[in-house]
Amino acid sequence: MPNATLDSGKKPDAFVLTPEKLRRQRIAKFFGEGFLLVVASFVAIVVLFIFYFVAVDAIPFFQQRGFTEFFTSTSWYPADEPGEFGALAIIYGSGMVTIGSALIAVPLGISAAICLSDVLPFSVRQYAKPVIEMLAAIPSVAYGFFALVIFAPLLQNYGGPILMWAWWLIAGPFVLLAVIVVADLITSGDGGGSERKTIRWTVTGVLGILALVFLFWVGNALNAIQILSGTNALNVSLILSFMALPTIVSVSEDSLQAVGRELREGSYALGATRAETIVKTVLPAASSGILAAVILGIMRAIGETMVVWMASGNSSHIPDPWYNYLDSIRTLTATIAGDMGEADQVTGSARYHVLFAMGLLLLVFSFICNLVSERIVVRQRKILAGE
Amino acid sequence: MDLGTRKILDRSFTAVGVTSILLMATALLVVIVPIFTGGIGAIFFKGTIEHRKLQYNEFGKGDLDVLQRQIVETDSYREKVFRMLEAFEVEMELMEPDERSAYSPKYKKVRDLLSHLFGPLPGEMEPILLRYQYGVTRWDEAEESLHKLMFVTKWDYSNPDEMAKPYFVPRSEEFEGTALAGLFPYMESNLENMLLPEQTFYWGFITERSLDAHIFGGIWAEIQGTFFLAVGAMLFAFPLGVIAAIYFTEYAKDNFFTSILRSANSTLAGVPSIVFGLFGLAFFINTVKVSESKSVLAGSLTLAIMILPTIIRAAEEAILAVPKTYKEASLGLGSTKWRTIMTVILPAALPGIITGGIISLGRAAGETAPIIFTAAVSVGATIGLADVFSSPTPALSWNIYNLASEHEAANEIRHVQYGMVLALISIVLLLNLSAILLRARISKKLKG
Amino acid sequence: MQMTAEEKDTNKVAAPGGASREIFLPPERERVKDGGRPHVSAKNFSIFYGDFEAVKKVNADILSKYVTAIIGPSGCGKSTFLRAINRMNDLIPSCYTTGTLMFDGEDVYGRYTDEVQLRKKIGMVLQKPNPFPKSIFDNIAYGPRLHGVKDKKMLEEVVEKSLRKAALWDEVKDRLDRNALGLSGGQQQRLCVARTLAVEPEILLLDEPTSALDPKATAKIEDLIEELRGSYTILIVTHNMQQASRVSDYTMFYYEGDLVEYAPTKQLFTNPRDQVTEDYITGRFS
Repeated sequence: MPNATLDSGKKPDAFVLTPEKLRRQRIAKFFGEGFLLVVASFVAIVVLFIFYFVAVDAIPFFQQRGFTEFFTSTSWYPADEPGEFGALAIIYGSGMVTIGSALIAVPLGISAAICLSDVLPFSVRQYAKPVIEMLAAIPSVAYGFFALVIFAPLLQNYGGPILMWAWWLIAGPFVLLAVIVVADLITSGDGGGSERKTIRWTVTGVLGILALVFLFWVGNALNAIQILSGTNALNVSLILSFMALPTIVSVSEDSLQAVGRELREGSYALGATRAETIVKTVLPAASSGILAAVILGIMRAIGETMVVWMASGNSSHIPDPWYNYLDSIRTLTATIAGDMGEADQVTGSARYHVLFAMGLLLLVFSFICNLVSERIVVRQRKILAGE
Repeated sequence: MDLGTRKILDRSFTAVGVTSILLMATALLVVIVPIFTGGIGAIFFKGTIEHRKLQYNEFGKGDLDVLQRQIVETDSYREKVFRMLEAFEVEMELMEPDERSAYSPKYKKVRDLLSHLFGPLPGEMEPILLRYQYGVTRWDEAEESLHKLMFVTKWDYSNPDEMAKPYFVPRSEEFEGTALAGLFPYMESNLENMLLPEQTFYWGFITERSLDAHIFGGIWAEIQGTFFLAVGAMLFAFPLGVIAAIYFTEYAKDNFFTSILRSANSTLAGVPSIVFGLFGLAFFINTVKVSESKSVLAGSLTLAIMILPTIIRAAEEAILAVPKTYKEASLGLGSTKWRTIMTVILPAALPGIITGGIISLGRAAGETAPIIFTAAVSVGATIGLADVFSSPTPALSWNIYNLASEHEAANEIRHVQYGMVLALISIVLLLNLSAILLRARISKKLKG
Repeated sequence: MQMTAEEKDTNKVAAPGGASREIFLPPERERVKDGGRPHVSAKNFSIFYGDFEAVKKVNADILSKYVTAIIGPSGCGKSTFLRAINRMNDLIPSCYTTGTLMFDGEDVYGRYTDEVQLRKKIGMVLQKPNPFPKSIFDNIAYGPRLHGVKDKKMLEEVVEKSLRKAALWDEVKDRLDRNALGLSGGQQQRLCVARTLAVEPEILLLDEPTSALDPKATAKIEDLIEELRGSYTILIVTHNMQQASRVSDYTMFYYEGDLVEYAPTKQLFTNPRDQVTEDYITGRFS
């Protein structure tokens, strides 16, 4: 064909190569794929480097000071001469805000995930997803600013009423729901007919009044609370929970979606309501994935720096009593961020290395969390695939 | 349980789910709305004559004729205040020593408040710090200062169980019967004439440098620093991430080594951001010494390794979403694997990859912890492009922290902090919004 | 290369059914130039997915410039066999082959074979139309560009020629710069044929090319095959027996990985030699 030959001038294309050509091709392929592999391994190398370089600067601290003081003492006076490096209160603070944020974020996140995957119609879901993405996108320093400048004064000035309203809004509906269910369960034995109806209404009424008294009692107790400082563990936990939510929601939603329609239909076909289907069938099947989601959310909370640095109060003591979320605390991340400024001029001092020790602690913790959640996800995938 | 109860439970179950989503939406609003309104206040506010003086003197902006006319006008009203001060000083000279020493601190307080409103009073030395050279630039602050001038704050300690409560006593009572007594009603009724507040659209907040540690001026240095850091991080991370994603999706064999690489990726994604900061300090600055001390380069590198896993994951997903048939078609036409990737798969995956890139860019712009030890300084001038290898930079995220928590006048420059947060959030959310829109367009395209 | 002598031998022996070739040449169709020689020949050719033998020890010659249909129930290995011819199965990691498959006297799975060049000579059209998300022009020009044609004029020529061959030119000549995904399913499929023709292959492999199309579009594709007959060696996998009998000269029947019967289409459909074939074409199973 004179007009449009493909091999402009080349020898008619044999698809069988000469050994020479084959060798060249192989070499090119080797180097090409080798290059890709090197780039892809870059991440692994970085991970190794991070562990190495953080550990290298952390070890001198433990060599100088041993482990006991760091893990068991609560006296944190790194600036003194000689310094005291008891990090127990700081570790406790990290744990406290992490648990606090998990307590808020986990129920909220799981119910939001269920709502996204099973309740909302697709059209609404399209608008809900960007909300979650935006929550995830807001920089942590903006959350920190909100916590410090806007939320902390509110909490300080109107702490009691805020707590009371939160109690009413959250606990109120649940307590009333519990009343209805308990009344039903108590009276379920007594046959049918109008007699049962009257008994049931009476029981509901009595329980309802008791519940209202209980709600009022607790609400008033909360209302009377005076919060001395708005920068406290409660503030930080709340803000952290909103930062952890997007992770928890999206990972649990994936896991709920992975359960599949057959299982749901099977349950519906047996006459279960949607709530029963989800609670009794879907959630157990998705439980490991949800657990992974919770772990990832916790990792986000414990590794967060700016919010806790700005709004936790930064006082390194164990709150009194130990569960007092209205007290100021201090966390590992905030300590690293805050103390490095004074320490990094004098590299080599215990003050510098102790911060790396804290970093190493965080690193190891997040690494373990990651391994565990990865294991869980892989296992769930295998179970769902029927292996 | 009877059916009714089961149905109630089912409904409330739905209600809990919907409420939790609404709660998240509310939380988003509760965070964003105050920041938005506060931030707008940094750009759009009632500016006083002092603001316009400052703009003219420091940035050469404004109409000199109008300004001079206004200065003459305000000075004529201020003159009367200064006259009263002089009269009171003369009066003090004639007082008994103990009476004078009783008045002296009170008078000093008045002078301080006035010089805060108007700048240095006549007869005072020209202050060195810029913040004392001008009076209040914002009318809302002027009103606050006026209140402080009019009233003395006292504390009520009567109830020992509760915190003390503040209450206000008119300051004029302190100067009853002196030459200064007339000052307070005069100030109250003529403050506007002395400061001439005007609705101001201060675009310079975005484009101007800061003056005297953000007491005046804009946030351009921070915006530019954020831009340098985020774009620098992308320059490193984006190519690496895409190439790694190509390897994982097209070349990696399903073996132990690959699973270790993947595991490393998720480990890196889970490393706390502050640890990246430590690593950046220990590795890039103290070990490799990419720069003498903090620098944009070190910060960008640190941010780059932080966003790398996100980019790899997004690019992997985008590549996997490309229909397999494209690949088959291309290979079937006698294309090599690499050509297929470059000419068919990457172009088809590009919107998805870019979406991931944009989101990572937003994340790099917003992160603070990794740059604390590697790149950020609290106060600094804008740096040139040539300085990125050696000098640190101010950045929005870091300076928000610094101004809100460590600045000596943190309470007086709330508007600057709000403005910065708004700028940062706008950058990040706009990036995310464009990513969301881009993704919506892709899914529309894929549906045909 | 060393096989040439042997290859000549097999040339004399007609592959289908082991009988003499002349019998199988359809008398109503004229013989074409260079037609009827074994273009692809399989010897003891098996294809495995891991441990599973998807195609079992096939021996057959596919004759040049004729249309050969491959039929059989789903999962019988017919598509696997087709995809093995231009080594598309390489994309499946666990897939490997034994025996030999020769194309133009060269081993398709030989050590020195470049599958990229091979695929240039053996074009393929898949079940679902799969145009690239590019313009119509760029879709057709993709192959030629790949193989080094840069001249705009030349590309235009190739595009027009290929589209004409695929009987699509008149429908799309005014909108060559539009996205190919905007075409109808049938047009997309003909575009895919045109795209393959633009590389000037010797063999066309069609993997159920009409299964995703409506009857009208199907008829157009069948017309197209009729047009191309005699210019290319065409292999078409189809689950539609009417289609096989309409368009093909020869038909292969696969069942559970075995090539049960391979004969001139007319003979296979009117007088099948094997009981399974008969059961299948009479619709006793599918």
